[in-house]
Amino acid sequence: MSVLLFRVDERLIHGQVVVGWARRLRPRRIIVVDDDLAGDSLERSIYRTGLPEGLRADFWSERDAISLLPEVLDSGEPTFVLTADLPTMARLARRGMPIEEINVGGLHRAEGRRRVLPYVSLDEGDERLIAELEEEGIRVVARDVPTAAPIRLSERARG
Amino acid sequence: MTGRCGVVVAHGRLAEGMLSALTRVAGEQDNLWAISNQGRGGEELEAEITQILDERGAGRQAYLLSDMDGGSCGQACRRLLASGRVKAVFFGINLPLLVEFVFLPDESFERFVTTVVDKGRKALGAHE
Repeated sequence: MSVLLFRVDERLIHGQVVVGWARRLRPRRIIVVDDDLAGDSLERSIYRTGLPEGLRADFWSERDAISLLPEVLDSGEPTFVLTADLPTMARLARRGMPIEEINVGGLHRAEGRRRVLPYVSLDEGDERLIAELEEEGIRVVARDVPTAAPIRLSERARG
Repeated sequence: MTGRCGVVVAHGRLAEGMLSALTRVAGEQDNLWAISNQGRGGEELEAEITQILDERGAGRQAYLLSDMDGGSCGQACRRLLASGRVKAVFFGINLPLLVEFVFLPDESFERFVTTVVDKGRKALGAHE
């Protein structure tokens, strides 16, 4: 399995990903699945800034991701897949991505969201989705950096 | 007082720590403030930086200083640069760079940016 990490994080490519996780798991590629970013060249260049040498980033629409990710899985190239929200990652799983575990790295407080961890706030839709994903056999685990203890979100969500 | 001001944007408690260190060596500053990205989403961070600049830095040229290019702090800074709210973003900051930032007399923009960055670069090295 060449995808080392399926991560949900509003900040997408940032310090915890390129330093914390990438130093540990050594990916060569980051694929960001985000419809808005796929069409926004300024934002893409901002996210690409500061990527360490030997690590490249691609920005794909959800539609492209569904057709292109199987090739990435076959390629054997160590890869991280990032989305900014849980529903997008859940759709990738339900459209055939072999995701066993979703890493939740940061969903910040906002109106209508309940804070379950300092770096994770969930809305009702997220809480339902977590319960459904767990039933489908996909673990949803909060862990901002690899040195932190993993926290199963189904134990924190209302479901 | 110079005609510029800035916000240090960094991970964890680095920004407030940097300012605390700056205060120890250079005294209280009225044109440099600190914010952490901790617990803040990107938009929230940008909004709070803007608020600090609007409330405390009105009428002065605004700059941002981040601990690392890229990363959520650097990204927020780049977006505020793209929107025109700030004049430049310094990244990879250290204490000598901050000292230069607060003490350099007003001069041309290009010269100011070059001098500050140069100071920060020259401050980095290793004794063996």
